[in-house]
Amino acid sequence: MPPRASKRKSAPPNSSSVTSSDGRSVSNKAKTKGMDKIDRLFNTYANSSLGMIDPEGIEALCSDLGVDYTDVRILMLAWKLKAEKQGYFTQDEWQTGLKALGVDSLTKLKKALPELEKEVEEPSNYEDFYIYAFQYCLTEEKQKSVDIESICELLNLVLGVQFRPQVDSLVEYLKVQNDYKVINADQWINFLRFCKEQISFPDLENYDATQAWPLILDNFVEWMREKQS
Amino acid sequence: MSNQKKRNFQIEAFKHRVVVDPKYAEKTWSVLEHAIHEIYNHNASGLSFEELYRNAYNMVLHKFGEKLYSGLVTTMTAHLKEISKSIEAAQGGLFLEELNRKWNDHNKALQMIRDILMYMDRTYIPNAHKTPVHELGLNLWRDNVIHSSKIQSRLLSMLLELVHKERTGEVIDRGLMRNIIKMLMDLGSSVYQEDFEKPFLEVSAEFYMGESQKFIECCDCGDYLKKAEIRLNEEIERVTHYLDVKSEVKITNVVEKEMIASHMMRLVHMENSGLVNMLLDDKYEDLGRMYNLFRRVPNGLPTIRDVMTSHLREIGKQLVTDAEKLKDPVEFVQRLLDEKDKYDNIISQAFCNDKTFQNALNSSFEYFINLNNRSPEFISLFVDDKLRKGLKGVSEEEVEIILDKVMMLFRYLQEKDVFEKYYKQHLAKRLLSGKTVSDDAERSLIVKLKTECGYQFTSKLEGMFTDMKTSQDTMQGFYASHLELTDGPTLVVQVLTTGSWPTQPSITCNLPAEMSALCEKFRSYYLGTHTGRRLSWQTNMGTADIKATFGKGQKHELNVSTYQMCVLMLFNNADRLSYKEIEQATGIPASDLKRCLQSMACVKGKNVLRKEPMSKDIGEEDALLVNDKFTSKFYKVKIGTVVAQKETEPEKLETRQRVEEDRKPQIEAAIVRIMKSRRVLDHNNIIAEVTKQLQSRFLANPTEIKKRIESLIERDFLERDNNDRKLYRYLA
Repeated sequence: MPPRASKRKSAPPNSSSVTSSDGRSVSNKAKTKGMDKIDRLFNTYANSSLGMIDPEGIEALCSDLGVDYTDVRILMLAWKLKAEKQGYFTQDEWQTGLKALGVDSLTKLKKALPELEKEVEEPSNYEDFYIYAFQYCLTEEKQKSVDIESICELLNLVLGVQFRPQVDSLVEYLKVQNDYKVINADQWINFLRFCKEQISFPDLENYDATQAWPLILDNFVEWMREKQS
Repeated sequence: MSNQKKRNFQIEAFKHRVVVDPKYAEKTWSVLEHAIHEIYNHNASGLSFEELYRNAYNMVLHKFGEKLYSGLVTTMTAHLKEISKSIEAAQGGLFLEELNRKWNDHNKALQMIRDILMYMDRTYIPNAHKTPVHELGLNLWRDNVIHSSKIQSRLLSMLLELVHKERTGEVIDRGLMRNIIKMLMDLGSSVYQEDFEKPFLEVSAEFYMGESQKFIECCDCGDYLKKAEIRLNEEIERVTHYLDVKSEVKITNVVEKEMIASHMMRLVHMENSGLVNMLLDDKYEDLGRMYNLFRRVPNGLPTIRDVMTSHLREIGKQLVTDAEKLKDPVEFVQRLLDEKDKYDNIISQAFCNDKTFQNALNSSFEYFINLNNRSPEFISLFVDDKLRKGLKGVSEEEVEIILDKVMMLFRYLQEKDVFEKYYKQHLAKRLLSGKTVSDDAERSLIVKLKTECGYQFTSKLEGMFTDMKTSQDTMQGFYASHLELTDGPTLVVQVLTTGSWPTQPSITCNLPAEMSALCEKFRSYYLGTHTGRRLSWQTNMGTADIKATFGKGQKHELNVSTYQMCVLMLFNNADRLSYKEIEQATGIPASDLKRCLQSMACVKGKNVLRKEPMSKDIGEEDALLVNDKFTSKFYKVKIGTVVAQKETEPEKLETRQRVEEDRKPQIEAAIVRIMKSRRVLDHNNIIAEVTKQLQSRFLANPTEIKKRIESLIERDFLERDNNDRKLYRYLA
C-alpha cells in the first residue's frame, strides 16, 4: 500500500523514503500515523483562524496537563519547541517539538515533563534555556530589554529553585534600585554567571568589582554589603 | 789504527784547594756577631763594611749560610728582648717615646745588617726559602717587642687614651702618634688592624654612642647636627694626620652610625626643631647640613623625603579644604604658587636640587591640588585676574615667569578638561569686554597650553581670537559702506562663531529703537557678504557707553551692560516706571533684570536710579525713577561689567554636569579606538589603556568606563566573549 498522503504542511523529505527495508512502509506508516496524532492534538488547542495555538489554547493545554500556566515547565516546553513568539505555538514548532520529545498524546506529554526538566537542567542545555527565557520575553519587534517587573518574575521562575538565596536578594535589590528600569541581554546572562561562579553568598567575599561584571551587579553587591554591616 | 783517544782541550776552572778550617765558620761568625752587637750599641762607626760583607759572603759561599742565618736570628732576638725590657721600664708618657726611639734604632740597625748580609739575602735565603733579612727584622720586632705580653696591651691602651684625650679637647703629640701608627702599619696590615684599628673602632663606637646620647638629650636638632658634623670632620682630619688612609671610611662609618643613623627618626621628628620646623622656617643652612649628613647613612635621604612629603601633603590638604582661604580664588592660587616657590627654593638651596626630592614635591602637589575639585576653576580665575589687571605694568620677562608658574600648576591638574571649560568662559568675557591687559600675554599662554596639551585643546581658543580680529575688519567695512551713519550712535559688533565660544542661551531683549534700527542695518550688511549664515544677537553679553545729564545739569558718561542700557533708555520717555513696565518693555528675563536694576539703584556711587521703596532687594511692586541727585567724582562711571566670578553652587553643578556629559563620548571614542586595533582585550587592560589615553585631559573613572562599555555592548559595537567572561570582542 502506498503511504497515505500526509497532512503535514511543510514536509522535509524523509531520508528513508528511497532505501529498501522490509519494515519500511510500516514505519513510515507509523510515522505518518504519529504525525497525525500530533496534528490532531495540535488542532485540539489551536485557534483555527490563526492556524496556531494562542494564549487561550496554551492555557487549556496547561490545565489539561495539570500544570499552572505560569509554571516553569511550560517555559521549558516552549524552549523544547523553540517557540519564537511568547504565548503562541505554530504547527511546525509543535510538530518538531513533540517529535523531539517522542510523544504524540497528552498523557505521554504529561509523562515526558519530568524528563524534560532533567534535560533542561543538564549543564550543556541550561545556559541555552536561560538565554531563551529572556528572549522569549522580547515581545515587540526590535525590543532589546525587558522591564524590571518581568525580570524579577523570570528570575524566580528560572533560577529560583537552584539559587534561591541569590535570587531573593537580587529581586529585592532590583525592585529597590533606581538606576535601571530595564534589563538587557548582557546583564541577564551575567546574572546566571554570577550565581554559577560560586560567588560566596551572602558575604560575597570573592566578588571583585574591578572585573568585567556589569555595573548593575557591582551596585547590587555594594547594596548587599551595606545591608549587612 | 790509532788507539789514542782524541783529547778535547779543556780549560778547567782554577780550583783553589782550600782546606776548610772547621773553625773557620766559627771565627767568621763571631766577627759578624760582634758587628751586630756593635751596631745595636750605636758603635757602628768603627766597623769596616767591606770586611764584614766579605765575611758574610764567604760564609755563604762555603755553605755556612744556615749557620749565618740562625746566628742572625738568635742574636737579633736577644737584642730585641733587651730592648723590650728597656721599653717596659719606661714610665707613663715616656713609654711611647721610648718605643719610638727604639724602633728607629732598630730600623737603622736592620738596614746596616741587611746591607752587610746582602749576599745571603740574595742567594742562600731564596734557595732555602727563608724570610729575607729586612722582613725577618720586622717580624722579630713584632714578636719580641710589640707582642710581648707587657708591651702589647700597654701600647694599645696608651694609643687609645691619646685619641680619647684629643677627642675631649686636649692637644696631643700628633707626630709621635703618626710614627707609632706607621710602625704598626709597617709591621703588616694585620698588625695594624688587630693591634690597633679594630679596638680603635670599637672604642670609638662606644664613645660616640655615649656622646650622641648626651647630645640628643640636651640639644635641638640643628645644634645636634652641627655637633655631629664637627665630630665627623674631626675624625677625617685625624685620619689624614696620623692614621692609615684606609681607616677613614671605617671610622666615618662608625660616627655616621652612632651619631646619625641611630637617632635619625628622633632628630627628624624632634619637636620644635625637627625637619618640619626647619622647612617652615626656611632654615636653609640646617636643612643643607641635614641633607649632607643623612645622605651618608642608609635610608637617610628617603627618611627626609618621606617626612617632607607627608608634611607637604598635610599643609596642602589644609590649604585646599580651608573654607576661609577658598573664598578668594586668586588668593588661593597665589598661596599655592607661594608654597611651590618656597619648596623650590628649599630644594635648590639646601637639597642640592636632588631630583628625587623634586619628584616628591611634584607628586605632593598633584595629590592635594586635585583634592579640591574647584581647583581648575580657581586657577582659571587667577589667570583671568592677572590678564585683566594683575599684569599691568609688568615687564615681559616677569609675565613669562608668572605664566610659566601657572602652567606648572596646570600640569598638576587631573581634570584638565574642566579647566578648559572655565578658561573658555573667562576668556570670552575678557575678550568681549575688551578687558585684557596684554594681547601678547594672552597669546603666550595659549601657546603654552598648546605645547602642553596639543592642538585640539587650543584650537577653539584660537578661534575666539580670530573672531575678534575678523569682527574688527567687519566693522570697518560696515562703516565704510554706510557713511551716513557716522553721526549716529556707534555700533561695535563682535561676530562669534558658535562652537568656538562657550554656549549661552540667547534670549534677545527689546533694544531701544535707535539701536534696533542700527542693528538691523548691520545684520543685512553682514548677511549680504556672508550668505548662508545665521546671526543671533547675544544681548546678555554686550556693553554700552551712554551720556547722561542729571537733575542739576551734571553730565556723566555711563559704561553699562546692554540690559542696563535698555532700561535706562526707557527713562528718556518716562520719569517713573514700575518694575512690571520695565520688564515688559525690555523683555529682559526676571533674574537678570533684578540684578541689573539692583546694580543701578542700590549700589552707592552707581545709583543712577532711585527705587521706591528704598529696600535692598528688587520687588515686583517696586517703582524706579531717575536719581536726579546722582553725583560722582568721575565723569566716566562704570556701572555694570560682565566680570568673571566664582560660580555659584547651581552654576557649578551645571558646569560639572556639562563636563561629565562631554566626557562620555570621549571615553567611548577611546574604547572604540583601542578595541578596533586590539580586536580582543580583557577588562582590566581596557580600563588601563583608556585611562592612559585620556590622561592628558582628565582622570577617567573606571565605573564610568564600565558604563560606556556596557552601552557599547548594547549598541552592538562590542560583545563579551562566550567562554571567557572577562574578554571583550570588537564587532566590526
